Amino acid sequence: MLNDPIRLGSLTLRNRVVFPAHLTNFAEDGLPTAQHAAYYAARAAGGAGLVITEEHGVDPHDRPYEKLIHASDAALPGYRAITAAVHAHGAAVLAQLTHNGGQSSGMYSRRPVHAPSPVPDPLFREVPVELDAVGIARIVDGYAATAARCVAGGFDGVELQGAHSSLIRQFLSPATNRRADAHGRDRDRFLLDVVAAVRAAIGPDRVLGVRLCGDEGIEHGIGIDDAVATARRLRDTGTVDYLNTAIGVATSTLYLVEASLRFPPGYALSVPAAIRAAVDLPVVGVGRFTTPADAERALTQGHCDLVGVVRGQIAEPAFASAPVRACVGCNQECVGRVGRNRWLGCAVNPRAGRESVALPAPGVGRRVLVVGAGPGGLRAAATAAARGHRVELYERDDTTGGAVRLAAAAPGRAEFGRVVHDLLAECRAAGVEIRTGVDVDAALVERVAPDVVVLATGARARRPGWAVDGVVDVRDVLSGRLDAVTSPGDRVLVYDELGFHQAPAAAEWLAARGCTVEIMTPGMVVAQDLGTTLDMELFHRRAHAAGITLTTDRMVTGAVGGASAGPEVTVLHHTVGTVERRRYDLVVTVVPPTPDDALWAALRGGPRPVHRVGDCLAPRRVHAAVAEGDRVAVGL
Amino acid sequence: MTVREGGLPAVRGLADPVALRGRVAPSRVLFGPHVTNLGVRRALSPRHVAYYARRAAGGAGVIVTETASVHGSDRPYERAPLAADCAPGWRAVVDACRPALVLAGLGHAGAQGSSAYDQQALWAPSRVADVASREVPMEMEQPEIDALVAGFATAAGLAVAAGCDGVEIDAGQHSLLRQFLSGLTNHRTDAYADRDRLLREVLAAVRSSIGDRHVLGLRLCCDELAPWAGITPDSAAATLTSACHDADYVVPVRGSGLSVWATRPDLHTPPGFNTVLCARIRNTAAGAHGCAEQRVVLQGSVVDPVAAQAALDDRVCDLVEMTRAQITEPDLVAHVRAGTPERIRPCTLSNQHSTVLDVRNPVVSDEAEPDAGHETDPVPAPDGPARDVLVVGGGPAGLEAARVLGAAGHRVRLVEAAPVVGGALLLAAAVTGRERMGLLVPWWTAELARLGVRVETGVRVSVDDLDTATGDGTAVLLATGSRPGPLAWTGDAPALAAAEFEAAVLAGSVDAALPPGPVVVHDPLGDWTGVGIAEQLAAAGRATVLVTPDPVAGTQLARTGDLAPANARLDRAGVVRALHSRLRHAGAGRARLEHVWTGQSRVVECAAVVDCGHRLPADELWRARPHLPRAGDCVAPRTVYEAVLEGRRAAVEAVLC
Repeated sequence: MLNDPIRLGSLTLRNRVVFPAHLTNFAEDGLPTAQHAAYYAARAAGGAGLVITEEHGVDPHDRPYEKLIHASDAALPGYRAITAAVHAHGAAVLAQLTHNGGQSSGMYSRRPVHAPSPVPDPLFREVPVELDAVGIARIVDGYAATAARCVAGGFDGVELQGAHSSLIRQFLSPATNRRADAHGRDRDRFLLDVVAAVRAAIGPDRVLGVRLCGDEGIEHGIGIDDAVATARRLRDTGTVDYLNTAIGVATSTLYLVEASLRFPPGYALSVPAAIRAAVDLPVVGVGRFTTPADAERALTQGHCDLVGVVRGQIAEPAFASAPVRACVGCNQECVGRVGRNRWLGCAVNPRAGRESVALPAPGVGRRVLVVGAGPGGLRAAATAAARGHRVELYERDDTTGGAVRLAAAAPGRAEFGRVVHDLLAECRAAGVEIRTGVDVDAALVERVAPDVVVLATGARARRPGWAVDGVVDVRDVLSGRLDAVTSPGDRVLVYDELGFHQAPAAAEWLAARGCTVEIMTPGMVVAQDLGTTLDMELFHRRAHAAGITLTTDRMVTGAVGGASAGPEVTVLHHTVGTVERRRYDLVVTVVPPTPDDALWAALRGGPRPVHRVGDCLAPRRVHAAVAEGDRVAVGL
Repeated sequence: MTVREGGLPAVRGLADPVALRGRVAPSRVLFGPHVTNLGVRRALSPRHVAYYARRAAGGAGVIVTETASVHGSDRPYERAPLAADCAPGWRAVVDACRPALVLAGLGHAGAQGSSAYDQQALWAPSRVADVASREVPMEMEQPEIDALVAGFATAAGLAVAAGCDGVEIDAGQHSLLRQFLSGLTNHRTDAYADRDRLLREVLAAVRSSIGDRHVLGLRLCCDELAPWAGITPDSAAATLTSACHDADYVVPVRGSGLSVWATRPDLHTPPGFNTVLCARIRNTAAGAHGCAEQRVVLQGSVVDPVAAQAALDDRVCDLVEMTRAQITEPDLVAHVRAGTPERIRPCTLSNQHSTVLDVRNPVVSDEAEPDAGHETDPVPAPDGPARDVLVVGGGPAGLEAARVLGAAGHRVRLVEAAPVVGGALLLAAAVTGRERMGLLVPWWTAELARLGVRVETGVRVSVDDLDTATGDGTAVLLATGSRPGPLAWTGDAPALAAAEFEAAVLAGSVDAALPPGPVVVHDPLGDWTGVGIAEQLAAAGRATVLVTPDPVAGTQLARTGDLAPANARLDRAGVVRALHSRLRHAGAGRARLEHVWTGQSRVVECAAVVDCGHRLPADELWRARPHLPRAGDCVAPRTVYEAVLEGRRAAVEAVLC
């Protein structure tokens, strides 16, 4: 089914796989770039049937973020480059159009923002100006003008963003439309005005789609019945060719829009299912499909007619044809970067966001020894072998995976382990020779006598200077080594300096075993970086349910005892300067590990080139290891 | 020549020339290096040129350009200049800024940088994670150290070849050189365990590169405010003696990765806070190198020319860095020279627009001078035949509109309903720690008087008045401010809008306005208002709960540098921060809060609520006459910046018709 063609209006798509609109931050000076064209072309080449570009602004004063593609004739050459590149691979391409309305600020425009009613967005927190009739008409004209420009630029049509971050949604939603005029009495009216104007602008032969939100996840927000009613009226216009769907609001319930691996594939399918049951237009379903099988199931079960896959195709451009790696829903380099005004990347696909940067031609085939089979070593080995080098990969442990294996042992995060599974498959396909249980030293390197060595030897736990008996590292928890030691009712302190998944993972593990757990951080926010991956909301809910206490602004400065009664730690509340002593049965430290770089020390300056990647250079997150492994291998 | 009180001629006037390495700076005022986000990719842009040129035209003696990374391993923010890309920009700045001396700021942020843009491991002396990013850097080995030293030398050579008068090397708060100087971040056991060594090598290499006819300045952290392991004034003095002979001047600064905010702190820190530190360092410099050789520059929220002159007179320093003051008032030195210092637009030190190290890349500016950073696209003056203009409302928008209209020669009458002018700004300046915001009001008042603007207070304007004015050919501009918005919670607890509370503070009647007992401050915005009000209440002895939906109080203070200090002040004051919380109901002595994600309810004692929620435009007059130009909060309630900017734009619009 996934590979069956489907008609959208006058357009026939080769299959049901859509690459839906999403922010990339590839624009420069408000214009599309060569990177846009290369990025979309890669997904078209990988088999997607339909590419929908990221949103184009329709009003020069709408500047919600720095790298929005603006409404300007200067964008036309960029449009032509994108559409030609996508069409060359047999896929169709639409442009998404939006006005962000009140989900914006005056930071870039230095103008007030406009919205249906003066209701501030919960993220931007700027009071908008209530649009008047003239302003509404001007914006409707802006949609039409931008749509016409897109068609002139070679797009097969346009999609109107009526969900996530959009003035259309703000008009549709009772939470943001408090108007008493015609646009308030009939909240669909603005959308219908835009549809009519855009259809008139693009003519009958181009595709017009609308993306609707089926559940905003906020008080007084749009619910599924509202969405179905709007869908019916769109169908009744006779001018809309398909409907796309969404859940959540981009600024207040983003964790529903770009759900992390805590959400199952297809978590948002109730929305297209309800709309499909009510209208006979093709409907796109979305929601964290990571494999073609997930997508196929959504179709065969009748939830939707097409499947939108964003992150699955960021991680694997060949999702629709020959996938070798899957998105793991970590959100670290896609959502986590784009939300911070940085170009979109991917933790498992080091080329994502860099498609326009040509790789150097592979050099002479060389014998490469990679030491360490964590994500950095596996990536280096896979890339090197795929580029014609002869690669041997040695791992000290009995199993591959390195730090990812422990990360995937955390409660609810098993999917993260897919990173290693996929890298191993790539290594095997490329002919990497992998040996586990081999402790590599300088003498062994001498015997193997490779042309070049890539060190990916990772990092080991670091014990803080104040550690005493009863103080353990987070790795001891996640590896299961502590299971015999802890008992229900134990009071456990998880002391966190990393601010990411590690401390919550350990805390939840211990709480599940009946311990009374407190996470303490010297920072202002516990597990602060879960905010960037949209894991914060659910973490708080789980922590609350598990009775985990969250403590901020406190540093452990010392500890005593430990043998019988458990360690007594000295805690400095650094904002106020007070010191207290607290006794726990167990203290788990979550602190930066130490690079395992003994082999580097032995080999550097020697006869053969040696490179370091990942944690043995500096202990960081998975993307750093993968990116460095790839970069070093490409440079061989 | 500047004249001190008592009529004695000042030997070293702030506005008088000073020699550096045989080059003459036209004044003793330095415009220091700072993040602007004006760049194009990693080069200096025409906007940079116009920005610096404007300050040079206003009398700045020394301009130090935005710190450029000396090596490709450093990209601390997206538009951080890279020395290798800066030569054309430096040349253009030099050409545009004469006679001011132009020095190229050069540095490397080390572990305080960002790996997000170029995706390389951060460089550092040791594997100590930066407090803010928590990212562990790589430990530099000799090849990296050699590359860094060579990078400084090469960059300095490029700068002087581009015509710069010299360079300023950054060993200040945000720098790899500081990280080598500090026991907090340098745990090495090799030759660089001598923590001064790298700085010594860099300065020697730079001097060798630029020769002895160019200026070598040094921004040096002299107090990390972390005496247990960090740089102290004593250790800095020793560094200066042992390592810094090559420097022609030193700018002592303070702060470390643990106290980033301390270098250019916001208005909660009194101006001139580095005076004692600077005097100490100057004594060292004099002792080590002979007073005439090495100049010392006073840095640290110096905004008042009188205080700057006093520091020169007291031999605290030889030059004064007045960076933020010149962002606010490009003509600061010119006014000192002209004997009109009272006309200098006051710098509030709010940092709301002058501090822009933020992932969103906001452009440097100033809330009372919104053309700052926008010199290539300024708001035009409201020129044209002189007209009668009625400005309705004497808040920031109305005051600024009246000022630019008066300056353009129009006959302006400004009417304000309240007994005094200042509007929301007076209120915003009412609470503890935010007094400096209010400095703009007397400045506007004096400027309007100078320009002959008629200011009438206690006058309420009706729609008929507007019609009469327009009928007479008078241009009308509305700047009528805001009113409280709807409450987002239920219940009958006594409630004051933030502005009402601030008015009570001004009137000295807080206890009359609020019933006795604990107060809940409801703050769905997270800006300075809720935090300031909670501090004010705590200082008045009230048990205070600050309710915010965010993970910390005052999230919007992140940009100003006051986020961590504000939360610490609240903690020390005993304010309870109810985080991730919404106020649902208040009445009968209690308030019910709800966790934004878990939905968990909790009840706190509550005799009254101060509501810091959104306001709405007070736009009755505009709704009656919507063709009239309007500005500021009566368009949409925002901040002083938007009010001033729109005041200028509305002035143009008003006299156009």
